[in-house]
Amino acid sequence: MKWFITLWRTLNKPAKTLTLGAISLSAFLMGIIFWGGFNTALEATNTEAFCISCHSMESTPYKELQETVHWSNHSGVRATCPDCHVPHNWSRKIGRKIEASHDMWGWLLQTVNTEEKFEAKRLEMASREWKRFDRDNSLACKNCHNYDSMKWDEMSKLAQKQMKRAAELDQSCIDCHKGIAHKLPDMGTSRAPELIAQVGSGESSLVIGENYFSALTKPLFFNEKTDVEAGTLNIATKVKVLELKGQRAKVGIDGWRKKIGAGRVIYFDFGMNILSAQLSKDAALEPGVMEVFEEQQDPLTGLTWQRVEAKIWVDGDYLVKDLQPLWDYARDTYSSSCSVCHTQPDEAHFDANTWPGMFQGMIAFVNMDQDTQALVQKYLQEHSSTFDKSAH
Amino acid sequence: MPSHPINETRDQDKSRELKALGFIILLLFPILTITGISAYGFIIWMIQAFGGVVAH
Repeated sequence: MKWFITLWRTLNKPAKTLTLGAISLSAFLMGIIFWGGFNTALEATNTEAFCISCHSMESTPYKELQETVHWSNHSGVRATCPDCHVPHNWSRKIGRKIEASHDMWGWLLQTVNTEEKFEAKRLEMASREWKRFDRDNSLACKNCHNYDSMKWDEMSKLAQKQMKRAAELDQSCIDCHKGIAHKLPDMGTSRAPELIAQVGSGESSLVIGENYFSALTKPLFFNEKTDVEAGTLNIATKVKVLELKGQRAKVGIDGWRKKIGAGRVIYFDFGMNILSAQLSKDAALEPGVMEVFEEQQDPLTGLTWQRVEAKIWVDGDYLVKDLQPLWDYARDTYSSSCSVCHTQPDEAHFDANTWPGMFQGMIAFVNMDQDTQALVQKYLQEHSSTFDKSAH
Repeated sequence: MPSHPINETRDQDKSRELKALGFIILLLFPILTITGISAYGFIIWMIQAFGGVVAH
């Protein structure tokens, strides 16, 4: 404490022995040395050698890059890690450097130190990087690539058509060019990490008698213990918790089914092809699972529908109290994914039974995992003209 | 010898002032600058994490 008081007193008075020249010169020189040193250190962390000094970077992403045109090409220009992954603008570069402290955790906790762990997290990591590219309209690409410098004549007819459209909109490159410097994650079979990030992985505890919505497509089970699946519960489906045992919940799924075959598919409402759950044939015939109520005939198809309630077990995770975040996610995904190529129609432009055909016809053109596909389709159906009477 | 104690305080003053100067330019200000830049970077990170769109 005493040294601090002495220091404070010394600093608070004009210098008695040091000259103003000596003080200002030393401060000036130190300023130069410090700033030079700081920028040298900053640049040292902005080299490929620094990036791949970490085993998990060297073993997978770096190896994958070496097989692409960004590594070696006829013009001899190479893109190294920081060219694409660190913003060039000073402020954003500093922000990114601090953000990278998050990666230090990954290194300390060995999150991706084996191939299996890396593959398991690949989609999550790639999604984070795509989001970054989305945010600044693929500025990292555009630091080198420029729509104005493209030689259209050398492109195929199809490429010209797509690229000219993209150029008009100054479209973000990553919208179409995913998986060009590293392997594309397996999109179709993995769960939706961005959806889970936004909606959460479910309530911490479920309450008997309350209604919940499924935040993912979930397997159904015959009882509270078995691994034998009894079908699937579709995403964004309302269920009522009837019983809780361990990690599982017995839920009631209200809906309608067509009176054909085993009647194992449960729909959202009478006459509507909005999927709530699909039971296996065994489950649909199992006594006590399906409770059947009144019947009604659909004049359009002549089919008889029955109102039913299925009572069946499901894992207690990914059941959320509030449906709105799921719809919000679906709306954002719908507008961002579909507007890449065309103006997307209003949700209420089609009715609930027309949307699946429309949607499935377009799905091949976008990268959407199965959970997100199912969610967006359901969002469109439940916000279609069947429900929204304000349009058409 | 009246001048001796004066010289001694002068030497003491000089050493105190040099130490104070050294402390400031070698330790305090570099640490403050790095802390400041880190805080700035952190703010940018948070703005991007929660605000989404950034000007560029």
